[in-house]
Amino acid sequence: MSKAQVSLRKKDILGLEAMPAAEMELILDTAKEMKNIIDRDIKKAPTLRGKAIVNLFFENSTRTRTSFELAGKYLGADVINISTSSSSVAKGESLRDTLLTVEAMGVDIIVMRHEAEGSAQFAANIARPVIINAGDGAHEHPTQGLLDMFTIKQFKGRLAGLKVAIVGDILHSRVARSNVWGLQKMGAEVHLAGPQTLLPREIEKIGIQVHNRVEDALDQADVVNVLRIQRERQQKGLFPSAREYARIFGINAKRLALAKQDALLMHPGPMNRGLEIAPDIAYGDQSAIQEQVKNGLAVRMALLFLVLMGGTHIEAAH
Amino acid sequence: MKLLIKGGRIINPAENMDVVGDILIENGKIAAIGSSCPAAGAEIIDAAGLVVTPGLVDMHVHLREPGLEAKEDIASGTRAAAAGGFTTIACMPNTRPAIDSSIVVAGLTQRAKTEGVVKLKIIGALSKGLEGRELAEIGDMIESGAVAISDDGGHLDSTRLLKTGLEYTGMFGRPVITHSEDEGLANEGFMHEGAVSAVLGLKGRPAVAEDIAVARDIMLAEYANAPIHIAHVSSKGAVEIIRQAKQRGVKVTAEATPHHLTLTDEELRTFNTAFKVNPPLRSAEHVAALIDGLKDGTLDAIATDHAPHAFEEKDVEFRYAPSGFAGLETAVGVVLTGLYHTGKLTLPEIIAKLSYGPAKILGLDSGVLKVGAPADITIIDTEYKWAVDCIKFYTRGKHSPFESRNLKGKPLITIVNGSIIMQNGEVLK
Ligand SMILES: [Zn+2]
Repeated sequence: MSKAQVSLRKKDILGLEAMPAAEMELILDTAKEMKNIIDRDIKKAPTLRGKAIVNLFFENSTRTRTSFELAGKYLGADVINISTSSSSVAKGESLRDTLLTVEAMGVDIIVMRHEAEGSAQFAANIARPVIINAGDGAHEHPTQGLLDMFTIKQFKGRLAGLKVAIVGDILHSRVARSNVWGLQKMGAEVHLAGPQTLLPREIEKIGIQVHNRVEDALDQADVVNVLRIQRERQQKGLFPSAREYARIFGINAKRLALAKQDALLMHPGPMNRGLEIAPDIAYGDQSAIQEQVKNGLAVRMALLFLVLMGGTHIEAAH
Repeated sequence: MKLLIKGGRIINPAENMDVVGDILIENGKIAAIGSSCPAAGAEIIDAAGLVVTPGLVDMHVHLREPGLEAKEDIASGTRAAAAGGFTTIACMPNTRPAIDSSIVVAGLTQRAKTEGVVKLKIIGALSKGLEGRELAEIGDMIESGAVAISDDGGHLDSTRLLKTGLEYTGMFGRPVITHSEDEGLANEGFMHEGAVSAVLGLKGRPAVAEDIAVARDIMLAEYANAPIHIAHVSSKGAVEIIRQAKQRGVKVTAEATPHHLTLTDEELRTFNTAFKVNPPLRSAEHVAALIDGLKDGTLDAIATDHAPHAFEEKDVEFRYAPSGFAGLETAVGVVLTGLYHTGKLTLPEIIAKLSYGPAKILGLDSGVLKVGAPADITIIDTEYKWAVDCIKFYTRGKHSPFESRNLKGKPLITIVNGSIIMQNGEVLK
């Protein structure tokens, strides 16, 4: 199939589990072109002029929200942010009500972040605008998955055949899940590692390798993706102390050396330096962490463009 | 007034009866059961090709009255029961206020006489206010007609309270019914813990939480030498623990629900809140173990755990939705479709679990067909094809995991005390 024939199948972007590889490739290819816009002096393409995007964030995330906001603005769309805590539910406004209110304002896209798994699916069932999942609980974070793939491809030239180690709190990580689906479909070999208390039971049933020893996952890895550890998990008794976590599971120079010499180090941010990742390597030669942020913008621009322009490839749309 | 049910396949599990014949009803009671009964002056129901069974008994429903009538009340709940082929149901005490005193038991019994269309039995709370601290007035409630005692709706954390509850309830020869699932282990989970929860990122409720609680509860019943009934068994481990306990003579009985017998956690992939229930829908190996348990008698009853909720309560994100759904009107269709038409269980086996089995556990004289007994009878068309449409339910609970499914098998007529109260899906009272 030539690129021009691929288009996004569904109205909404809910996750990578259901997204075919060809669509992911289309998004990554489009993102490459979008990245050129970011590097220009005047970062404006009039492509989405007259379109309206609402960032509906029930959970704080300056990083993802800003990225979506700039992505929309660089493409000329009108973007507004609605930050609300899910305590609005307590006030009697249900998610259904909120979505219908936003829909009534005539928006084209709702970018939604919510702490409940499946909330993006729920929104897609209810609302007419395009729903882009910007993270639903521990379920999926598709744009993060895509930007991670984009970053790997940028440095490694490919995804197929690479060994990717994802290390940390897999249990609560939407980033891990989106990465697993995306990378698997693109032919990478995914290894997960972390303390047993932070690994979902039976996750190995989806065809990935799971390790308790970080060293086993890192061995000869092409990419090491380090996940954020939330300190609240320690209060919940899922690991004994930050000190012990850093010592046994933290990624430092010595452990990173087990991976291939040119292995790429990634982190979705924000980082707990000294906990899951050592400060020296976070900013070291192998780190792609800054680039991930930039690529996030490019991927989100690509996605907004594709979902609004009928899902056809950028070249075909010109 | 005479009624003759003619030429049906009569299945009466209490006596291992499975014959084609007639049943004559006179003055609300069964007057004769035989190959050919006298028809003079009787209204005749042609039951040729249909199955005639003792009125079905559902020992586990949530009627929501008193206090939560927006979800359900006696009038709507018993009509749903009639539509589902049930002639007797037992309601759980987790209402507001809880059914934890003889006054509430007596009040509901009175209400059931005027509002109800099927027979209503009441299960009293084990602890005051279902708070799990002090015993409720169990003896008083039983003397006012409560048929069993339970804090269902949640797990009893206090091992000591359950021990005293079993000892005390046991004196009256009544069972304690437990919702056995260790809450600490279930850990505020939203679904079965396994490969599907791993993918969805939804916090899981591990099957071992049920296994451990069932083991504890059975050990206490054994210690107290008192009857215990394990509600809605859903795990493979629990089935095995109950099986072993029965072998060594513990007074334990158990039930499984139509949904746990026919659905798996795979259904949750769409995040449809209609599938959210406690204990959660588990994986296929657990479902297979439940069916084995029914087959070999480890599980004595099929009970719906009918738990209606207001529509908007379920119309939210998965984790915020309450657990449970309407079960009375789909039970027969689901069980026949999933267990009978697939050849997993025979019709007499299924009818036993839906009538005689639960009646025996609650010490009721229903669930059997015998001359002189009240004529509570259900007539079922095992071949009737229909599609579930929640909007048409008599219950106020408009959520069902079986919505839009095609089922094969349906109760066509429900008779209570000799009166037809439901015919062709329509409740006549
Ligand atoms: Zn229960």
